[in-house]
Amino acid sequence: MNAGNRDRVAAVSEPARNSIDARLVDELRGMLGEDGIVSRATELKVYECDGWTVEKSMPDVVLRPRNTAEVSAILKLLYQHGVAFVPRGAGTGLSGGCLPLAPVMICTSRMNRIVAIDLANRRVEVESGVVNLHVTNAVKADGFFYAPDPSSQMACTIGGNIAENSGGPHTLKYGVTTNHVLGAELVLSDGEVVQLGGPTEERCGYDLAGAMVGAEGTMGIVTRATLRLMREPEAHRTMLAVFDDCDAATRAVSAIIATGIIPGAIEMMDRLLIRAVEAAFHVGLPEDAGAVLIIELDGLAAGMDERARQVTELVTGAGAKEVRLARDEAERAGLWKARKRAFGAVGRLAPNYATQDGVVPRTRLPDILHVISEVSERYKLQIGNVFHAGDGNIHPIILYDERDPDQVRRTIEAGRDILRACVEMGGSLTGEHGIGVEKMGEMPLLFSPDDLLVMGELRRVFDPDERANPYKIIPMPGACVEVAAPRRQASL
Amino acid sequence: MSALDASQTAEQIGALIGADRVRAAASESERTIAGVVVEPASADEIAELVRKCETEHITLAPFGAARTLAEIRHSQVDVAVSLARMNRVVAYEPDDMTVIAEAGHTLEALNGHLAERGQCLPADPPFPNLTTLGSLIAEAKAGPIRLSEGTVRDLLIGIRFVGHGGRIVHGGGQVVKNVAGYDLMKVMTGSFGTLGIITEATFKVRPAPTNYALALTSFMNTGQAFEAAGGLSNAIPLIHLEIISPGFDAKFGRSGRFLMLAGFGGSGAEVQYLRTRIAEVLGSGAETELLEGADAESAYEWLRDIDVRGAALVAQMAVLPAELGRCLDQCGSEFRAHAGSGVAQMFLGGEPSAEAIYREAERWREAAHGAQGHLRILAASPGSRDDLNFFDEPPAGTLNLMGRMKAAFDPAGIFNPGCFVGGL
Repeated sequence: MNAGNRDRVAAVSEPARNSIDARLVDELRGMLGEDGIVSRATELKVYECDGWTVEKSMPDVVLRPRNTAEVSAILKLLYQHGVAFVPRGAGTGLSGGCLPLAPVMICTSRMNRIVAIDLANRRVEVESGVVNLHVTNAVKADGFFYAPDPSSQMACTIGGNIAENSGGPHTLKYGVTTNHVLGAELVLSDGEVVQLGGPTEERCGYDLAGAMVGAEGTMGIVTRATLRLMREPEAHRTMLAVFDDCDAATRAVSAIIATGIIPGAIEMMDRLLIRAVEAAFHVGLPEDAGAVLIIELDGLAAGMDERARQVTELVTGAGAKEVRLARDEAERAGLWKARKRAFGAVGRLAPNYATQDGVVPRTRLPDILHVISEVSERYKLQIGNVFHAGDGNIHPIILYDERDPDQVRRTIEAGRDILRACVEMGGSLTGEHGIGVEKMGEMPLLFSPDDLLVMGELRRVFDPDERANPYKIIPMPGACVEVAAPRRQASL
Repeated sequence: MSALDASQTAEQIGALIGADRVRAAASESERTIAGVVVEPASADEIAELVRKCETEHITLAPFGAARTLAEIRHSQVDVAVSLARMNRVVAYEPDDMTVIAEAGHTLEALNGHLAERGQCLPADPPFPNLTTLGSLIAEAKAGPIRLSEGTVRDLLIGIRFVGHGGRIVHGGGQVVKNVAGYDLMKVMTGSFGTLGIITEATFKVRPAPTNYALALTSFMNTGQAFEAAGGLSNAIPLIHLEIISPGFDAKFGRSGRFLMLAGFGGSGAEVQYLRTRIAEVLGSGAETELLEGADAESAYEWLRDIDVRGAALVAQMAVLPAELGRCLDQCGSEFRAHAGSGVAQMFLGGEPSAEAIYREAERWREAAHGAQGHLRILAASPGSRDDLNFFDEPPAGTLNLMGRMKAAFDPAGIFNPGCFVGGL
């Protein structure tokens, strides 16, 4: 375990924190074979963080099981040795959910089979390492799709989505991961395999699957899941509305929702993001605009043009200076490509960036955007915005350079100020990225000690010894914002 | 159960939170739940009550959840907790499409309030006037529109409940998208009052549907009805898709065949289009009658409120949707099916013997298990309850987790004990 890792856990005494010994590694190697284990430092570097790159910590060993039986065997062995573990999908998380704060990392990427497609019942059973987009790709020709569509869907796994309760642009209308997971196979930290939920709509007993989705891997390792498929709508209308500033764009969002129209998605990008995306992908975004909305209507073909006209009028009334309707599937795909690869485009603007994930009530969007621009000035950091406007789910992207410790400090503090403002406006710390390690310190802003105590009890129903993904979500007793800050820096 | 008798219990609780908060059970149905009814006016009073009950080993249950289980329960709890005094809308934000209300508020009252702004909470269990929000959640109640709107677990975005130690606990929040912290909403949904007492809930709401219309089509047998339903749900988005058996069709004032009730709505153009598509998909052989406006509304309310009081046995089957028709055919009983969702309620009328009721329940259960599903008994005549399994038993590992959940949330074992899955 590296120095940062030890530093983080120095404050607590937990037997599971012991570093893993060589004999155990050999035993695991024997169990999984040479290709099922990563233990060389150069190869382990990939696993030192997820998309939350502010904190890094290398695992001692990464295991790559092929099936449930191997996961179970690994966990039984680790349990006997009192060793904690971190589950990992594709490592695309944005809150440090799979930051290795335990010696062993278990990667689900080789469990990537779509086990069964059942179109008659609109179900699909997958292994947890299946890539999100592969589910939709497997059923698209038959007119179905899997609704949660995070921007990382070309890489992120269903297991990771379940851990984080991932969303995406289309969750405005279709809901997040938890609304689409009917059942899951979970391996508990002692190696026991349990079935949560099942293929039917009604549950027998407590909703254990619902309790586990979004638990950020702290209840065990999901090896399989039964997902709900949706019927592809008959028609889409995707439009780009161009505004001089963010205020006008957010007013347009409220105007649409107020009429009772629920679009499939309403996404917003500000000037910084528009320019970054245009520079990277040349999709024809207006570089002089202050903000754009990507609005997608879906549903029956009948009446669709009428609704598109209505929305065009509404956004024009709210101040849009131009509304472009995607003329064909290629133009629609272009707009979505621009939106979903926005984060990648930001990479051209600065060596590093940290993506925040606050939520405010939709009507408070103008207020939170003002806060973000004040924060940007106060900390002298560039902050861009690309987010799910319909849900009030903001994603300020803070640009920084990790080689400058002062910028790192300002980035962390800026993010924290934004989240605090979200909570003050009646919102939340995270809409879809999870608490991870990033926002643990802010949990007391939302939840009382009793709330956190009961949440801890719930977690220990599944994982009594807290061996699964330890030191995440719930702040450690005594830890507070002031304590967390220096520890974060030390772990860089 | 407590060592105190009912009057001692009432006296002690009255001393704690006020004598005006305590009364004796007023009706036969209340008495099947508990002899003493407490009507607290705040979460703090419930917290006091819970602490007292834990110390004195007094068992308690929220009225809503307990009332449903009264149709199957073997024994009383000491105290029923009515949330009738906790019936306020706490905050309604129409522009954000969220509402916070106390658990004693009824679904009908809430929807009346939301309707003023053209919105609704899209959940439709029977008798919304008798359904408190607390019972909607605790029993995970649902109705026909689950097909298009999901169930209460999909609508609940925040919760407040009183748990063990009298802790007032909240999970979730007030925004439509939120993954901060563990999902206590899912934990409480469908927990039947066995983990704590829900005091307040936050929901996301939806625009109220417009131009609701109902297509009624009769069929000679279950196979035909479900085949048509499968074709229809595959072709177009519907608000609901229900099938009722001949006994209910006759009660509905029709000829006593299998009746499919497909509900749809939208803009004028959409409704026109859907009418045409329904006719196309069902083909020229189908006799389809279309109801609109007030006729459609009243038919829908009848469907939603299908009344089974007095049936000897009522159960709910949940199976893979494509298997539901075959399972119901195999059972041969009267039913109301949420065809697109794979869920149906089944009924046995008359005055069969306890033995006959038991055999029927086992037959239904076998059919459900044959389609990867399960069966839950909703009501059974009192004489038949001793031997019936009201809930299916989940696999051992799963049940073990549920037992741990119960132990973690209710270490003193006072919250509606012994009436849930696996005797929890």
